[in-house]
Amino acid sequence: MSDRRKAIEVRNLNKWYGEFHALKDVSVTVSHGERIVVCGPSGSGKSTLIRCINSLEEYDSGNIFVQQIEMKDEASINKIFSEIGMVFQQFNLFPHLSILDNLTLGPIKALGLSKTDAEERAMNYLKRVRITDQANKKPSALSGGQQQRVAIARSLCMEPKIMLFDEPTSALDPEMIAEVLDVIVDLAEDGMTMICVTHEMGFARRAADRMIFMDQGKVIETAEPKEFFEAPKSKRCQEFLSQILQH
Amino acid sequence: MKLKFSLWLVILLALAGCSSQPGIWGWYVIDPRTVAGYNNIRFLLNGFGATILLSLIAAGLSMIIGLMVALPGMSTNRWISFPSRIYVELVRAIPLLPMLFWVFYGLPVVLKSFGITVSIDAFWGAIITLAISDSAFTSEIYRSGIQSINKGQTEAAKTVGLNYSQTMRYVILPQAIKRILPPLANQFIYIVKMSAFASVIGMQELTRRANELVVTEYRPLEIYTLLILEYLILVLIISFFVRWLERKMGSDESK
Repeated sequence: MSDRRKAIEVRNLNKWYGEFHALKDVSVTVSHGERIVVCGPSGSGKSTLIRCINSLEEYDSGNIFVQQIEMKDEASINKIFSEIGMVFQQFNLFPHLSILDNLTLGPIKALGLSKTDAEERAMNYLKRVRITDQANKKPSALSGGQQQRVAIARSLCMEPKIMLFDEPTSALDPEMIAEVLDVIVDLAEDGMTMICVTHEMGFARRAADRMIFMDQGKVIETAEPKEFFEAPKSKRCQEFLSQILQH
Repeated sequence: MKLKFSLWLVILLALAGCSSQPGIWGWYVIDPRTVAGYNNIRFLLNGFGATILLSLIAAGLSMIIGLMVALPGMSTNRWISFPSRIYVELVRAIPLLPMLFWVFYGLPVVLKSFGITVSIDAFWGAIITLAISDSAFTSEIYRSGIQSINKGQTEAAKTVGLNYSQTMRYVILPQAIKRILPPLANQFIYIVKMSAFASVIGMQELTRRANELVVTEYRPLEIYTLLILEYLILVLIISFFVRWLERKMGSDESK
């Protein structure tokens, strides 16, 4: 039924928060290796969309396929969890564990790796996000940018096929945004399939294959970055871009 | 420092009463310099063991039952959370003393009607009652502690593949315990004091022994003063230990 190359397929997704219609018939398809940036004003449903994709949020109607498997019951969701990595706006590192333990917890408990294997893997990914000398510190001893890079490494330790980023730089001080984005660009260049919700338009131009613009729970526009930034079709999108790119 | 001060305060007050109104006080009854007084003191102090053991076992059971009630109680599935809700509301509403009577005198009869013959002695009767009665409160303490942990922690645990029990064990409870510990200690002190009720079903703990001595010596003022001091010392020791534990576990999150 669905194409082999599809990593994620969302069909006619609807989600209500009580009276509020958060997602209205949203359909999105992501191919393997594709890098998608989702943008839009706040409350437009972009975070809700990616939270639905990895089952952190329930939805009311529609279908979600990850790696051609429909996410509909506990079993398929559990199976797919290790395929999807997620990076949160607030990092959500485990504050009581050292950086190294943050990274090895999932691989040891969920994937069944031995402690030495998990630690070797963790050190590899810490090197990749350029944090190697802080493995034994607690998260609170690190800067925001470092914490977010650790969070990225923690996701990578599960060796996911798809990475979801939910406004990964929104909680960061301006001078730390670049170091986190660099790491994400690195990943993108390695061919990781990713969906990134962000307001960083410079990053979007650099890393995205495709832009998705959402407003009021609907996908308004989908286009390649060049086209998206230079000739946005919808009026809503033009307004949004003029506001966000003004400064 | 504070511990020493409050101890001296109570002792001073007692002694002051003793000197100003010589007719009221008769400290001879627990004067360690006389053989009778020394024996009386020994008799009273021997209740410590039972009070401590009773409180420790009841508190331990209460912590286990409380967790078993609190965890399903937080489920979003109403069928799972409903029994916990009922348990907490019901148990919290029953006064300790009637429950103690019911467990001690009534429970064996009820069990017998189901064909189970058990005799519940005062010790276990008191422990069961204290543990159940207290578990409704510990359950609520767990609930508030666990719910105070940011939802993002559960979500992050989920995204690294942890299931529910792993998430609780490795992520949520280790963080929640720091916030749970102070109110839990409060609850333990409460148990120590409530264990005095065990005296009414004949448990030989601090209060029972004081009562028995009062009946033979007719000196309630001195004996109950000593009884209060006994509880005070016990509770102060617990407070001191808990403070130390809190420091060790870093319950003080400000640093």
